[in-house]
Amino acid sequence: MNKRFLIAAMLILALIGGAVAAYEPGEDLKVGFIYVGPIGDFGWTYAHNEAREIVEALPFATTVIVESVAEGQEGPVIDDLIAQHDCNVILTTSFGFMDGTLDAALRYPDVFFGHASGFKRAPNMMSFMADFYQVYYLNGLIAGALTETDKVGYVGAFPIPEVKRHMNAWAMGVKAANPDAEVHVKWIYAWFDPGAATEATNALIADGCDVFAFTEDSPTVVQVAAENEMISFGHYGSQMYQFAPDYVVSGQAIDWSKIYVDFLTKIYEGTYTTTNLAHVDYWWLMTQGAVFPEASPGVPINPVYIDALMAYMIDDPVYGTISAYDLHNIRLAQFSDPGVTFDPFQGPIMDRNGNEVVEAGFWLSVDSLITMEWAFENIVGPWPNEPE
Amino acid sequence: MSWESWVVETISRALAFGTPLLLATVGEIYAERSGVLNLGVEGMMLMGALTGFAVSMGSGNPWFGILVAGLVGGAFSLIHAFATITLRANQVVSGLALTMLGTGLSGVIGRAYEGFPLWSKLARIDVPVLSKIPVLGPAVFENQSPMTYIAIGVAILGWFVLFKTRIGISIRAVGEDPATADSLGISVSRVRYLCVMVGGVLAGVAGAYWSVAYRTAWSGGMTAGLGWIVIALTIFAFWNPLYGLVGAFFFAAMRVLSFRLQNWLPPELLKAMPYLLAILVLIVVSRGTLQKRMGAPSALALPYTRGED
Repeated sequence: MNKRFLIAAMLILALIGGAVAAYEPGEDLKVGFIYVGPIGDFGWTYAHNEAREIVEALPFATTVIVESVAEGQEGPVIDDLIAQHDCNVILTTSFGFMDGTLDAALRYPDVFFGHASGFKRAPNMMSFMADFYQVYYLNGLIAGALTETDKVGYVGAFPIPEVKRHMNAWAMGVKAANPDAEVHVKWIYAWFDPGAATEATNALIADGCDVFAFTEDSPTVVQVAAENEMISFGHYGSQMYQFAPDYVVSGQAIDWSKIYVDFLTKIYEGTYTTTNLAHVDYWWLMTQGAVFPEASPGVPINPVYIDALMAYMIDDPVYGTISAYDLHNIRLAQFSDPGVTFDPFQGPIMDRNGNEVVEAGFWLSVDSLITMEWAFENIVGPWPNEPE
Repeated sequence: MSWESWVVETISRALAFGTPLLLATVGEIYAERSGVLNLGVEGMMLMGALTGFAVSMGSGNPWFGILVAGLVGGAFSLIHAFATITLRANQVVSGLALTMLGTGLSGVIGRAYEGFPLWSKLARIDVPVLSKIPVLGPAVFENQSPMTYIAIGVAILGWFVLFKTRIGISIRAVGEDPATADSLGISVSRVRYLCVMVGGVLAGVAGAYWSVAYRTAWSGGMTAGLGWIVIALTIFAFWNPLYGLVGAFFFAAMRVLSFRLQNWLPPELLKAMPYLLAILVLIVVSRGTLQKRMGAPSALALPYTRGED
């Protein structure tokens, strides 16, 4: 009895699955978003939802969301979005959703799929990512210029390539502005843990650091730094600015809608179909406007610090003696230029153990960027999985 | 860096981090001493954290926020008291449910309060005169939250009440042998209700400290596991508030050092220390004869029905 019921249910599901009509360009899009966290996290999921609201405003698209979905639970949620809500596009926004999204893409060949921060694709499934490393480099230039103790601190979530890449980019910016400065690192082994972030920041302060950047989904580091009258960089947009308006000097902001709107428009126009996404892999940076430095809304550098940055002189191999403010803005223009004329990971680069990790004359490929394990030479602190 | 600044920084931060651990642990000791295991500490702390933040923001008075958070924590713990004392439900299941309920409820209600800084926070103080003592002054009496001293007072008072007063004898009797206590005319359910509520009030206050004094912002789930350290700490403290005083700041120092010593020691080890030590204590007290001496309440987690024994 039970078995028969199960088979019947599966048949019905298969029928519903098969019953999704193939998309014709020009038809309206119903986009289902699956979030790993709550919208109120003021970090990763919050940023995705801000972008979703821009998608909702497109004349040809409506949206549905499911938030706080545990990684591994995405399969049934996708079934539901397609069966109950008639979604013809599904966007999943966490690394752990990758396999479930791929399975669903094979199950529903007429539905469009997109998965954030992963590497698996299918004819009807693309992958996408907007990365902060250029922004961290710009932030690093400011940090190196503004530190008075020649020690800056970074509170990291987990020692994984993404966080290491951001730390390295920040450390390279610091070194470009201030060759004597050290970048001290503490790990908290959590994406969200305000208590750990507080104690890690205090430990960095005890080590003598006076400028801070971080990867953690709360404004804790900003608050602790400000209590000690120290400077920090906001993470995931300008909503952290209000916690310390005098001490947030800049930060990393993201606009996922740049990718979403591009993807959906190309579906609507017929450029993307359910058979040609296997090689569509968005890796969008500053030049596409997907990421940008931001202290408060629309303001890249907190005006409180502009005089100090203009007064701080850097000896640059190309531009000679130049103020930190001018160098920051030159780099900003180079990153934003459609041709991108500068990259922090430009060889020759040595890691702190003396290995040459980028050869002279080369820029790191995306593959090398997303698998980065080495530590830049001015980084001080533990670095799990570091190459010898 | 001199050893002096290391000692001062570590003690100073351990006091700040250990304050909510101590408050909630004293509360949990009360509940467990009366025979009720309450695994809902994390949920009660989150309810307290949200209440403390919201009321401080609304009223502009952090002390009022902390007070109301205590009341809400106490009221919230009544769910567990009702389920386990009146309905005699399984204490483990009910406690876990309380944690889930508190996490979910505070998360949903708290959405409106996410992303706001708290301007009416509980300021830190320097204790006059005492802060001038070398080493000890800056470590213990400088730039600390007044809640830290209140927590220490609560622990000492908690020890006094439990071990030096008639009320304390009644509480321990109920946790040790409720049938005998009952035959002596002590109302088992009344004592247990009161003790669970004391636990709820102190967990609520501990949560409010987290959002009003320690961090001054609210986000869903912000205690991130503190409530579970409290459960371990209650065992580690042998159900004695004075040992809890030592244990809370010892565990907090471990946590602080896990960041300071990251270059030399794997942080996972120090992070796991509270739980490892709690397991060690459990091994020790599970040896029957030692159990009595160590203070584990014999009737812990056992529902009481008059006439059944």
